[in-house]
This record gives sequence, structure tokens and C-alpha cells, in this order.
Amino acid sequence: MRYMPEAANSVGLVLFPAFDWCISPSHPEREERLLYTRDQLIEEGLEDVHNIQFFNPELASPQDINRVHLCVPSAESVMTNSHFISAGGAIRAARAVMQKEVDSSFAVVRPPGHHAMQTVFGDRGFCVVNIEAVMVEHIRRHYGVRKIAVIDTDCHHGDGTQDIFYNDPDTLFISLHQDGRTIYPGSGFLHESGGPSAPGYNINIPLPPQTSEQGFDMVMNRVILPILDEFQPELIINSAGQDNHYTDPITNMNFTAQGYARLNRNLKPDICVLEGGYAIEGALPYTNLGIILAMAGLDTSHVKEPDYNPDNFIQSAEMNMAIADICEQARQLFTDRDTMRKKYSGQESVVERKQIFYDTTGFQVGETRIYQLCKQCPGYSQIIGEGLNQHIHAFTVPFNSCPRCQQQARDSFAKQKKESDTLTVLQDRIADIYEVK
Amino acid sequence: MIIGIDVGGTHADGVLLDRGIVKAKCKVNVSQNNLQESIIELLSSLLPEKKELLTRIHLSTTLCTNAIVNNQLEKVGMLVQAGPGMNPDFLQCGENLHFFSGAIDHRGQVQKIPALNDIRSIEKSFLDKEINSIGIVTKFSHRNNEHEIWVKEQLKHVFPHFSLGHQLSGMPNFPRRVYTTWLNSSLKNRFNQFKNSIEQGLKNLNIDCPCYILKADGGTIPFEKACDFPCQSIHSGPSASVMGALALYDNIGDTVLLDIGGTTTDISIFADGIPLLEPYGATVAGRPTLIRALQTKSIGLGGDSCISCDNGDFSIGPKKKDVPMAFGGQYPTPTDAMIVLRSIEAGSLDKAKMAMKSLVPEKAPEETATKLLGIFVATVRKAVTTMIEDVFARPVYTVSALLEREKIQPKRLIAIGGPAKALQKALNECFQIQCDVPVDYEVANAIGAGRARLTLQASLYSDTSTGIVSIPEMSFMGPVRSYFTLLEAETRLAQAISTMAKEMGMFESPEIDFIEQLEMNTVRGFSTTGKIINLKAQIRPGLQRIEESI
Repeated sequence: MRYMPEAANSVGLVLFPAFDWCISPSHPEREERLLYTRDQLIEEGLEDVHNIQFFNPELASPQDINRVHLCVPSAESVMTNSHFISAGGAIRAARAVMQKEVDSSFAVVRPPGHHAMQTVFGDRGFCVVNIEAVMVEHIRRHYGVRKIAVIDTDCHHGDGTQDIFYNDPDTLFISLHQDGRTIYPGSGFLHESGGPSAPGYNINIPLPPQTSEQGFDMVMNRVILPILDEFQPELIINSAGQDNHYTDPITNMNFTAQGYARLNRNLKPDICVLEGGYAIEGALPYTNLGIILAMAGLDTSHVKEPDYNPDNFIQSAEMNMAIADICEQARQLFTDRDTMRKKYSGQESVVERKQIFYDTTGFQVGETRIYQLCKQCPGYSQIIGEGLNQHIHAFTVPFNSCPRCQQQARDSFAKQKKESDTLTVLQDRIADIYEVK
Repeated sequence: MIIGIDVGGTHADGVLLDRGIVKAKCKVNVSQNNLQESIIELLSSLLPEKKELLTRIHLSTTLCTNAIVNNQLEKVGMLVQAGPGMNPDFLQCGENLHFFSGAIDHRGQVQKIPALNDIRSIEKSFLDKEINSIGIVTKFSHRNNEHEIWVKEQLKHVFPHFSLGHQLSGMPNFPRRVYTTWLNSSLKNRFNQFKNSIEQGLKNLNIDCPCYILKADGGTIPFEKACDFPCQSIHSGPSASVMGALALYDNIGDTVLLDIGGTTTDISIFADGIPLLEPYGATVAGRPTLIRALQTKSIGLGGDSCISCDNGDFSIGPKKKDVPMAFGGQYPTPTDAMIVLRSIEAGSLDKAKMAMKSLVPEKAPEETATKLLGIFVATVRKAVTTMIEDVFARPVYTVSALLEREKIQPKRLIAIGGPAKALQKALNECFQIQCDVPVDYEVANAIGAGRARLTLQASLYSDTSTGIVSIPEMSFMGPVRSYFTLLEAETRLAQAISTMAKEMGMFESPEIDFIEQLEMNTVRGFSTTGKIINLKAQIRPGLQRIEESI
């Protein structure tokens, strides 16, 4: 006889609230953030539910970080132990799935990571290390997985994840978020749809403030599920931010624990990684529980905020139309991906420039990215960045690059003159090498 | 002087201790249906000449464990408030489980008030079924007990027995709280009857000293108090044997205790001289509970386990099918191997050899027997390793705790039970550490019961932004000042534990360990609104100091 419920799908949980770490004492990313979530999950007795397993995080290695990021001056200097643990928590969750300890897993860890870009000069948007990206490349390195979909359900645009995978046609990145004209980081529009080697593989779905359950359901059914069906990823990852909640203090959406549970039941992610979510008392205990139960295939109908009233979550016809329109455009991007790629045929390289603002301490980084195009593969890139009087010039070889591009990147790195004020880097994901001169 | 009694499955052992030294010992057969008689029989034969020298009796009894195993639990009316969260339909507490409305959240704030109508209609159904033991549990009652108490207030004139979730444990985990409360309620009548008949027996013997019951956590509780918390007396047998090891060995340090029986081997671990406790509580007949208990891992491997052979690879257990072949059984067992190797002088040596031959006809019985015992101890070792890994893998929630945790590295084995002596050499070789096999261990269980001291655990939760401090184990909730500090909280909890200990008959000031300390500012907007302090402290399981146990 069973005295505790049995999960139909086994779930691994890396629950690490880091009660002794904060950005600053009153910052949203403070010690208290996951206290009530921990209390709720433990009180529910999840540790005793059959087929739910708890894991402690491990520490990510500098090599795990350097496979993804270009840290200035180094991974060890920009990151604290908490960051290594947070990334290591995501890696532990992934390993539990890849080694078939569980069917799916959820890293409920902090600090989050989806605003951390490929170059890292410091903390932006509460993030230093992009924990999903570090996890994705760890999975590729150790388990030989190629096609991965990252669905970012945080209320803020996952600009860091977008930056890291922008030119990779083997990583489908879909971010649904509150419209960038109304919220940090101010990006995430439909036209940011992927680099020259991967157009249509980066899909942004900017949603109007006050989007509710109906709107999210529409995005799932009209965009995300059909595209996933076509892309056929080997793994689905949810960057599971929970700040679309109606009580979140730093966003303006109208989403619920019931909505989050349903979204995950339909998405069926292999791995969830917690991102934002700052309604630490009224939302996170319920949204996290809802997501876990949905992943486990358990009943979520009782997971409701104490003041939940379905009448509060009905959208206007106008809003429904606006969201339907966004969905249609987003869907079209993926349909048009091959046509868009043809636009670049015959070009040898494409240059992009951008300014990256580090909001936590307040400084600007100027970045130039040169995509070296190739017919056989996504090609390698050069990244030249400058900020806080520090310079970096990196040659980065993606995991799916062809041998010729890999060699070219290495040759270019070798030829590049060593300069005292510049960090010159070769990041070769095929050989798993990170070399600095 | 103290009398320690350990009731087992077939017989009961007792000792009379004077300053920790055994003055008399006795063993009687036990009838599980009439425990009190065996206990009184033991007592009468152990009494010192001058009865007034006897200061206390410590009793480890199988009463509650048997009631659970034999399904002799009484009907309980359960009132449960689940609030938002997991669907609580899975809870199985007999046929009289009812949910009532209302909700308390993770911070102990009332989110919804329960409806009196709910309680009244449930009350009627309980009365119709002639239920008289009631269990009341709400989610998060360790943070705020007001709904549990309110429900009891509504019903206290109608029913005689109540168990409230928050009084049984201050630990989180709602399903465990429900099962603990249900079990406790279902044992109350039986335990009270037991107490009355023991007291009558003591009276007949003209004994007038306090009597204590051994708990699953290796500590004692006064008989009177145990009537309110009978569930705590389960699993006291294993805890007596752990306390016995503590009594036999000075400086036990990091040690693994193996209790090897006919069908199972029970593993317990001492870390730094302290027996490990379950993180939440014992699992009782499959139900997870918050009953504080020593951690014991039981594996299906014993002297009489059946052996299967697959392509020359043996596996032992987990089932026992019959007695060993040397004693007329049908299947080869590890005991047969021990007889073949002359490490047990019993049964028929010829039949034992046949048992080995039946496994591997072409090899000498001694060779097969040696190989078998090697596999036996290797299986034990694997289980010990897993148990140590599991302890190491217990969740931690801070960066410093994650970086500082260390794996236990046992320095010594203590093996007890029938086959222990015969396995000593193999254990020693396999674990590569010293392996002791104490003689006369059954008496050690009774010594362990006799020398155990009072244990307690209590927790404190204060939240200065809501202005409330609570110590659930005392049913205490009161106001707290906005500048309540960690130090004050620790003092408050230590005082509470001392008071509770005194009520239970401990007069010296107890040594209190703080096992969990969490201090956290609550911030809303950009300013600090208060501070949450959450503490857990205990009087850990240990031996009474000799000078006190006179």
C-alpha cells in the first residue's frame, strides 16, 4: 500500500536557496528569496513523494564556465562560490536526467542567469553566469546531444541566452516576456530573430502588460508547441522564471500558479531551471510547487494562491487580438528560416555592433561581433569588447563548427598580436579549449 | 539504582544497575498478548533487597509496535485542514478522515478562517460512529497552531482523547504530521490500559518509584507523559540496542553498529559518538512520520536468509524461506556456511556440508562456505556505504554548509546478534577496520534502556514583522518585540527546553544543542520589515551520567 503519492514521471529537484548569499541586503536577489518556497515544498512532504528525488548541487568548474563565457578578466574573478554552485545546480539537474536517474528535473537555485551574455564584465540583471547556457554546453560536451530547445518563460527577455546562442541553428531559443518597451532589459522584439547562420531560430514573443492565463495558453498552442514539433529537439529546457505572476513587485503581468502548472504540463520540459520571480511570499511557493507537480504528472488543481479568483484573469478581446497577431508573426519567423538564411549566401562575414549595459553597478560595454560565415557550418565568430578600461578580443568556435572553420579560428588567434591591455582568447568548444594570451 | 527492561519478540531482558554496574540480570519468555505480566515478573526478580533504593524503572516495550503490526489500532476521527498545495486525497488514516476549510500559509499567517459548520457536521459523523479519539492537524501548524486549538475548543466537551499535530512535533512536513497524529490517537487507549495494569503490578510489589518509557530516539519519557504521546514508544528495541552499544564502549567515536539476525541486518551509525537520527522521523508500517527516531537501515540479509545461485554467482536474501539445512530446513543458508566453517557449533555438520554441496557440487564445502560469507559481508558493506552516502546527500541550504560538509568515515564496527561472532573475521577483512563482537549483548539492550536519559527536541519560530513567536512543542504562541535577537531567541528556547525537561523529571540543567539556526531579514519594497528566526534545539540521545543515575 502507498501512503504517499507516486509521481507518474520521476522528477529530480535541486533545491538550493543559498540562505547565506545576496547581491545586497534589500536587493530582490537576497537571502530570503527562496525561504518560503523551501518552507512550502518541505511542508508539502515532497521529499517523501515516491519518484521525487532531491539532489544537492555541485560546483561548476571554471572549465564549464569558460566553455560558454568570455569573462573579463577571468571566471574566478567575476564569480563567487554562489555562482559556481548555481551553475553547478543546473548541471546536477541535467546529469540526473542524462544519466536516467529521473525523467525530468528542476534546478530551484539562485542566483539566476539568463541576462548573462557571452562576454561577462560583471553582474547584469542579477546575473553573472548564464546557468542554462553553461548547462547546455556541459550536456553537449559530456552527452553528445545536439539539438536543444530553450524556452524562456521568465517575464524579462532572456537577452543573455539570446546573445550566447544567437548564431546557433542547433539551439532553438524562444523567449516569451513582457514587451521590452515597458520593462528591463528593453529588448526582445520580433526582429531579433537570429544571427546570419541561424535566422528564425531565435524567437521573441513580446507580450503586452497584464497578459494572463489565456494569453500564455495562446502562445503555447499557436507558437511554442507547433515549432517544437517541427524542430524536434532532443532536449527541452525551460528557463523557468516566475515573475509573470500577478503579485510580482517588479513586473506587470497577470499570470498564476495554475497557469504555470498548465504551461509546464503542456511543454513537458526535460529540465527546468529557475530564473527570476520576486513575489517571494505570495507567488513562488505556489508557482514552484505547481511546476514540480505538473512535471511529476501529479494533480495540480489544489495549487492556488490563497486569494486566487478566476474572474481576475480574464483578458479583453482587444488584448486577445493583439496577442494573436504577435503569435502569428512569431510563428512565421520559424517558417521563413531557410529563406532568411539565403539572404546571406555569398557573404564571407557579417559585422554587428552593440552596447551592453551592466545595470547592477552601472557601466557600459561596447561590443563588435564578426560572424565568419561558412556553407557547411555556423562558422566561427570574433568578439571584440571594451568596458571599464578592459579589452577582450576573442575567437570562438561553436560545438557544431566544421574542421576548416575551427582551424581558421585557431590560426587567427595564433596570428593575433599579444597586447598588454587586451585579453586575447581562443574559445574552442570542439576541443574544449580556453586559451588566453 | 535503576532497573532497565528491554522487551523483545520472544523474551524480555532486565538488569538492575547500580551506578552503571550490573547488580542483577534476568531473562523471561514473553507473551505478546500479556506484556505486563512478563514485565512484572522480571521486575519482581530484579528488585534490590531494599526496595527504597530503587530510584527509577526504564522500560523499552513492544506494545505500540505490536499494535501497529497486528493492526490493533483503534478508530480515530481525523480533522485535517490541507489549505492550498498538493491534493491531500492520498492520506490514508482509516475511514474517518475529514477535511475542514481554512488555510494557514508558510509564514503562519491565517489566510482563511475555518467554518464552524464544517466542524459541526464532522462532529456528528464521529458521534454516530462512536469514536472517542480525535486527531486534529493543519498544514503549517508548527508555525501557527490556532486552528488546531480552535477545533479542539469546539469539540473538547464531546470527546475524551485529542492529539494535536503541533504538539507531537515542531518539524515541518504535513503528511508526516497527519500520520503521526493519527498513529498517536490510535494508540492512546491501549497505552493507557497498559499503564494502568503496570501501575497496579508495581503497587502489588510495593514499588513506588517513577517509571520511564524508552523512545525511538534513544531517550526516555515519563510514563505519565507517554500516555499523551504513545507513538514515541515505537521502535524502542533498536534504540535500546544503540544505547547499549553506547553504554558498553567508551569513546565510541565514528562507529557502525550491525545487528545481524536471522532474517535482517540492522545498521546504525555513530558520528562523533552520537547516534544518527532520522532527518524527520521514523517510518512506521510504511507511513512516514515525525516520530523522532534513531536512524536504522534494515536490509533483508541474515543467518537464515535463502541463497540463490545463478551461474556460480550467489546472492543472499532478502527473504527467509526456512530454517537452515543443518537444522532440518530445505534450503542452504549462511548459517549452514558458518557451521561448515566450525564458527557455529550447532546443528548437523553433515547436513550443513550437503547444503554447500547443493550449491556447488564440484567444490569442497569449506571453499563454498568461505565464498558465501565473503558475499554476505560484502553485501553489508555495500549497504553501509549507501547509508553513509545518503547521510552525506541530505539537503543543505547554505553555501557554507555545502562547502563544509564531510562524509562519515567509520573507524570501528560493532557486530551483535546470533551470527555476529561467526562473521567477525570476514567483516574485519572486508571493512579493513576493527570489528568488535561484545558478549552477552541481549543484556546490553537492557543496560542501554536503563542508562538512557531524557531526550527532547523543540523549535522556535519568530517573525518580528508579524510580531509573533511560537514554540509549537509547548503549544506556546505569544507576542514578540520588533528587536528580538538571535541570542534572546536561543535563551528563550533553551529555557523552554529546561522547563519541559524539569516537568519530565530531569533536575540537573540539561546540555542543549542547537541543531538548526536560521536568521533572516524580511524586506518589503526596499526596507527591512522584520526578522525571521527559526531555531531547533535538542537534548541529544546519550547516557545518564553515573552520579545522577544512583
